[in-house]
Amino acid sequence: MKPRVGFFDFASCEGCQLTVLNLENELLDLVELMEIVEFREISSAHGEELDIAFVEGSICRPEDVKRLRAIRARSRQLIALGACADTAGINALTSDRPVAELVREVYGDKGEAFLVAGRPRPLEAFVPVDGRVPGCPIDGGEFLTVLQALLIGRTPELPTFAVCAECKLRELPCTFERDVICLGPITRAGCNAHCIAEGDRCRGCRGMVDAPRSGPYYRILEEYGLSEEQIRDELRLYNLGGEAKK
Amino acid sequence: METRAATPLRSRPGPAETPAGTLAWYRLSRSDIDRLVRSLNSAYEVVGARCRNGRYTLDRITDPAELALEFPPRVHSPKKFLFPNWEKLFRFRLGGKIMLEAEKAAMPRVIFGMHPCDLHAVRILDDCLFEGEADSAYRAKRQATVLIGVDCEPDDYCFCTSLGTDRIDSGFDLFLHRVDDGYLARVGTLRGQQLLRRHLPELQPVDDPHLAPASKACRRSIRFPVESLAPVLGEVYDHPVWKKIGDRCIGCGSCNLLCPTCYCFNVQDRLDLNLKGGERVRTWDSCQFDQFTRVSGGSDFRPDQTDRQRHRFFRKYKYLWEKHQRTACVGCGRCSRECLAGIDNTDVLNSLFTEQATAELTPAPGVEYQPQMAELVHVEELTEREKLFRLRLPKAVDFRPGAFLQVSVFGVGEAPLTIASAPDPENREIELVVRAKGNLTRALHRLSVGAAIGVRGPFGNGFPVDEFVGRDVLLVAGGIGLVTLRSLLLTILARRQDFGRVMLLYGSRSVDAFLFRDDLKRWHLGEELDCRFAVQEFNARWGVTGGDITHLFRDLDIVPARAVAAVSGPAVMYRNVNPLLFGLGFSPDSVYLNLERHMKCGLGKCGRCQINDITVCQCGPIFPYSRIRHLREAIER
Repeated sequence: MKPRVGFFDFASCEGCQLTVLNLENELLDLVELMEIVEFREISSAHGEELDIAFVEGSICRPEDVKRLRAIRARSRQLIALGACADTAGINALTSDRPVAELVREVYGDKGEAFLVAGRPRPLEAFVPVDGRVPGCPIDGGEFLTVLQALLIGRTPELPTFAVCAECKLRELPCTFERDVICLGPITRAGCNAHCIAEGDRCRGCRGMVDAPRSGPYYRILEEYGLSEEQIRDELRLYNLGGEAKK
Repeated sequence: METRAATPLRSRPGPAETPAGTLAWYRLSRSDIDRLVRSLNSAYEVVGARCRNGRYTLDRITDPAELALEFPPRVHSPKKFLFPNWEKLFRFRLGGKIMLEAEKAAMPRVIFGMHPCDLHAVRILDDCLFEGEADSAYRAKRQATVLIGVDCEPDDYCFCTSLGTDRIDSGFDLFLHRVDDGYLARVGTLRGQQLLRRHLPELQPVDDPHLAPASKACRRSIRFPVESLAPVLGEVYDHPVWKKIGDRCIGCGSCNLLCPTCYCFNVQDRLDLNLKGGERVRTWDSCQFDQFTRVSGGSDFRPDQTDRQRHRFFRKYKYLWEKHQRTACVGCGRCSRECLAGIDNTDVLNSLFTEQATAELTPAPGVEYQPQMAELVHVEELTEREKLFRLRLPKAVDFRPGAFLQVSVFGVGEAPLTIASAPDPENREIELVVRAKGNLTRALHRLSVGAAIGVRGPFGNGFPVDEFVGRDVLLVAGGIGLVTLRSLLLTILARRQDFGRVMLLYGSRSVDAFLFRDDLKRWHLGEELDCRFAVQEFNARWGVTGGDITHLFRDLDIVPARAVAAVSGPAVMYRNVNPLLFGLGFSPDSVYLNLERHMKCGLGKCGRCQINDITVCQCGPIFPYSRIRHLREAIER
């Protein structure tokens, strides 16, 4: 009996599912080991029991909550796929403004008649989550590692150290040397410091490490001239959902 | 800039080094080196420093023009070639029958651009990884790698001159010294010799090599002998400096990952995607990471950065030194150069050494005879001849009741005075009673509040109050002997519930000679202790007993088996009181006497307070009777 795998999405850009689809060559090795029974992009089956459910996107509406709980009820393991599902991701950028104000701004005066929206929350706020593939978008290699672990019945483990370590292993220059703030010191590793390698900085899309050294790190940011409010803004892009969760 | 020559470290050649029969030198031009690289590429993977995007890195070199031989220390260490991250230990095949596949031989490789400190680092890796059962994965790469050294210029973070790692005489196959018109190549091993003969066969040895002595200067330095590192750390396991740097550490692991001698690793399995096989891999790890010391069940033996940073220092400078007589640090500065938190090894080590050196400084000669200055804050007349003085000391002192101070009036001298107040480790004020009978004591009587007084001490061994706990206490005071017992009595009253009945027998010449009369009245009228008084010059005032203190022992209601007696007074009193105490049933172990003598130095040196073989100022002045009964000079004949 092959494990039955489903992919679901909520509020997101669906970039993580596209990353999965881009792994078509690698997936050929694994497709014999599993049965993909639900993937909106490529399949139309519904309602069956699942061994693994990959859920992308954050939860905003009451019907989303209902649907998510239904997925949870029929899935042996539920995996948060991507930052939107894991920490609410950039969807949580809206968390400092009233929802009604946002609806009016986007949809005009008639918006409230059509849309009953809430604050974007991660999956974990509503159902138990068995595992996660962090990132925005996810890293294809890490997804394969997690999927493989699930298929053989092993608990997937994410790195417990920070992106900083991967940066050093790749011999990349530190962005702080050019006075650019980077969230690598408190962000979970696993992406191989991809953004720094491409000339950008870490923005924390993978969420924080389990025990971030926030105190000494904020002290360093203050030495680089950031105010408390600016530090909070830096973290809001991907991690406020996590803070709201706590 | 500071520069100093450290003690040369012991040479410990690795297995790949075979000393050449004769040390040979060759002169090479840059074009010779280019040809060498091109030729080597046919048989070796050639690695060297090259500049990419303004940054030097050790990398594969196929075009000799890319090879840089003069480059700054800021380059990741050659460790990644000898002990790589993600090293495959072996492959396994799954299916019905599990099969293991041996790893293939290591790639022959030449590393140009080994700075002296990195060559020393290879020695340290050899020590650690060849100890006991050799790590064969490391050994294979080590033996397959040719090491070619080049000189360097230290930058702001280097401190190799402190550790002797700025120079090296062996441990390389070739070393290229920069000279005016090219390079002077020094052969370190037979392999290096053969390399030149095979790839540059036309080269001829230089008969008389002239190499200017290289002098390097580092801005940072360890300002004490490297051999002191392990002993210094041996004293500071619980030092607050670890919390100080631990609170700054962000736990990124850069210090370990960049270090040329750190080799701690993790081992894990990686499966092929098709699950038909996989490999066991070794990856670098860091003692700064959360999972490094975490065990099943969630316990963590070094749970925070304070513990982890301490461990990093101890391993580098103490644990591995003790194993290999070589510090595991080569002063390359990579850890502090890349530390976002600014933790600097030299700052930490220098501050620890300085602190210990300061603590061990020999004080100036005679310092133990110099008094501290105390302020006179209160003077009170007790009797016609005695005054109470309260002094504020430079800092609070701890002592047992019965201890004394040596008090100075400059120009007059110094005298021992028993402390009359109770010990209070947080109180800088202390009380003394001064009887005017000599030059110094009369000079003290003339002082006013605010005067400065010299004070040494406290000295002496007082009453062991903890041995009185739970027992009845009989205090026998004669005349000025009450001063000593007041200190003891106040100590007892401060923790009254710890003791049984407390009785004070006080004898004096006359009522007017009673000390602390206000205290005596309060104690007598209170319920905390039982007081009896006697005077030799009988007087109807106070209603006290006439006669000497022995009269107070009549009808004494006490159970000696559960009591202790403290006696303080003139020596003549002991001849009469002691037999009464023993007659009541007191044992010699539970009778304590004050044997104050003429103490001059307080340090057991001047000999004036000596009683047979003991000095009162050190062993006393408070003695259990059992300790002194054999001393014929203890009690006045």
